[in-house]
Amino acid sequence: MTAVPSAGLAARMVKAELRRTLSVRMWWALLIPVVLLSLSINVFGGVFSSSLSGVGGETPGVLLASLAYSLSLGSVFAAVHGAVQSSGEFRHRTITTTYLTGGRVPVLLARSGVAAAVGALYALGSVAFGLLAGLLGQGSATFPSAGPLLGLIGTGIAVCALWAVLGVAVGTLMTNQAGAVVLLLVYVLAIENVLSLILKSGSGSGLDAGPPAIARITSYLPANAGDVALYDIPAVVLAGPRYGRDAVESLAGVASPPPGWASLVVLALWAGAGIAAAWVVGERRDIT
Amino acid sequence: MHEHTGRITVDGLGKRFGAVEAVRGLGFTVEPGLVTGFLGPNGSGKTTTLRMILGLVAPTSGTALVEGVPFASLDSPGRVVGAVLEAQGFHPARSARRHLRVCAAAIGAPDPRVGEVLGLVGLTADADRRVGGYSLGMKQRLALATALLGDPRILVLDEPGNGLDPAGIAWLRDFLRGFARSGRSVLVSSHQLAEIGQTADRVVVIHRGACVYQGELAGLGGGRRARVLVRCAEPVTLARALVAKGLMEVDTLPDGRLSIGGANAVLVGDTALAAGVAVYGLVEEQMDLEQLFLQLTGGVAG
Repeated sequence: MTAVPSAGLAARMVKAELRRTLSVRMWWALLIPVVLLSLSINVFGGVFSSSLSGVGGETPGVLLASLAYSLSLGSVFAAVHGAVQSSGEFRHRTITTTYLTGGRVPVLLARSGVAAAVGALYALGSVAFGLLAGLLGQGSATFPSAGPLLGLIGTGIAVCALWAVLGVAVGTLMTNQAGAVVLLLVYVLAIENVLSLILKSGSGSGLDAGPPAIARITSYLPANAGDVALYDIPAVVLAGPRYGRDAVESLAGVASPPPGWASLVVLALWAGAGIAAAWVVGERRDIT
Repeated sequence: MHEHTGRITVDGLGKRFGAVEAVRGLGFTVEPGLVTGFLGPNGSGKTTTLRMILGLVAPTSGTALVEGVPFASLDSPGRVVGAVLEAQGFHPARSARRHLRVCAAAIGAPDPRVGEVLGLVGLTADADRRVGGYSLGMKQRLALATALLGDPRILVLDEPGNGLDPAGIAWLRDFLRGFARSGRSVLVSSHQLAEIGQTADRVVVIHRGACVYQGELAGLGGGRRARVLVRCAEPVTLARALVAKGLMEVDTLPDGRLSIGGANAVLVGDTALAAGVAVYGLVEEQMDLEQLFLQLTGGVAG
């Protein structure tokens, strides 16, 4: 078993991982679609002004909601970056050199940290260009007040960083690069939605007791947990504290979601579980 | 405890991949100041053994220790062991210099060291090109530069001759000898006795995952069992002259050449001159490793 790395080793590994990441184009190549998506989503913002009828486009909450949507998509790219970064080591057979120059666990932890930083950068890029597009495009949109905006930015950074860590975990567990990326995308964009629909299908009883326990699970799936955290702040601004939870339910597609901070914890637990699995598997794997 | 000796200790080492026993009961040491050759035919378990020493493959039995501890317990592995392995790749889009800067950061080597090792292996002019465009030999030299970054006490090389041109092989041979002379350890594998014969001070020979010989190269008797093939004008006269000199293993080959066992080219050439026989061709042939294994393993074919 490898011991937890010392401070000096950790600093060396992080520096190496930063150089490894910045010396190929991947990190900024994936930032481009993040920015483009954010621009196109926020310039219209129409998804939200039309789906939430009765709420005017002039409400700053609409821009916050479209920002949250673009952050949700941005987190997928953060995860893809993490997965490509770790599975690429097996694809190009660079993993041998990487393990020879640094321990397996220190490499995994440093890679998670640097991927999280890249994820945070995607979140910042998404918000910066999204705000710009929103203010220019949603003619009547007003600049969101500082509190909710900063809250959303902080949540967005956390969600993208955690998804990047999950991506690193998937890319370490599944060494086939194409397989790891496809699995991530198919899960986030399709499987989890189907799973949510199945889990919620039994909630038609409509009694005061609320949705059945099985439907509540939807909020605790990783992609939904990120969405609940992201939509928490815009929902309150849009619908008010009283109906905010209902707005989150419809925006994130879940049943009786927990508070936003709790959803962040849920996502962090998913990321932690992913890294723990990658730690155990990665430490024992034979590199032949 | 970790000791700064540059010694590798392999004891009772075994590895099983499913039903295949790749390495079994292997034991040997690599001592500082010497080049240790690690010989065996392809598929005999050399690469698996080297990867177990380097912590890349987990042994199913026994131990492989680097300076008294398992590789994974080394705090700065890159400063203790440098390795050039066969399946070691590079990201095609990264330049050699950037690749080395990543590794230098991980090892904790200062950045100027990158320029030094690039110069050492002769890659300075190509250092800023993407590795994707490199030849096999250039990649091999970059791998060696990577191994030397941390100025390690031990060098482990798996079939380093592959991809190198003759000049590169000669350079590497001198380099490894110099490295060992400075009191450090070299473990270099090969499937060709001739390639390692001029470099190694000691050899460890493995066959089907088990050690069949360990010790001085001379003890292998490779040189003694060499033979000379000669094409000449009067084979019968030459054969008589050779037998008169005490060489008993003289045979005629189907193509008309003479085969003289236990001789060298100088002896045969001098004998032919003294006997007045014109020589048209003279070939010195080392006994190949497969034959050697047959003898070491008591004639049980592999």
